[in-house]
Amino acid sequence: MVEFSPEVIDTVIRAAALLGAGFAMIAGIGPGIGQGYAAGKAVESVARDPEARGNIITTMLLGQAVAESTGIYSLVIAIVLIFTI
Amino acid sequence: MKDINDPQKVQMKILKMTYLFSLLPIVSSLLAGEYDILFGFIFGLVIATLLLRLKYNNIIRALSMEEDSAEKFIRNRYFIEYALYFAVLFSAARNANLDFLAAAVGLFMIKFVVILWSVVDLLRDTFQSKFDEYK
Repeated sequence: MVEFSPEVIDTVIRAAALLGAGFAMIAGIGPGIGQGYAAGKAVESVARDPEARGNIITTMLLGQAVAESTGIYSLVIAIVLIFTI
Repeated sequence: MKDINDPQKVQMKILKMTYLFSLLPIVSSLLAGEYDILFGFIFGLVIATLLLRLKYNNIIRALSMEEDSAEKFIRNRYFIEYALYFAVLFSAARNANLDFLAAAVGLFMIKFVVILWSVVDLLRDTFQSKFDEYK
């Protein structure tokens, strides 16, 4: 059986952690696309019904604030993988 | 929350609730003498407050644009905000006086409050409708 030295094992673990951090960052793209789409639809809605502007801004603000949570989760995971392993 | 149509008032109410909920971790870390947790949490909370304000300004600007340009504008601004989040978390991870997880929780506090508020609204509506049916 092939035995690896501790340096090789450490290097492999470090490489896997960095690769995992890179994959985690892919999750940051989704909220951006979703928020842009929501903004486009909000513009359309305000053009259709200008009186509902306040309601649309409120809903959009809350929706966008929550939507970007998943992106920040991935960022936290990526930074933990980079700095703690 | 859904009864308030003025976005400024909603923003103020969210911030008030967030600061109210944040008193618990702030006071407990202060009493425990964990100053790195305290500073990390306050750092995250301040940045989250400023980014909420930035988001509001971006939305107001986007609503005066065409549909396609608003979509592109909000998407680009999201990536700028994402870079700011990265800078905050990176500096919290590198600085020994700031606790990384406390800074992350501070960044998330506004989102937790919004979700909690929505759940409370949902439960209130559900129980109200059950109560009305019963009457």
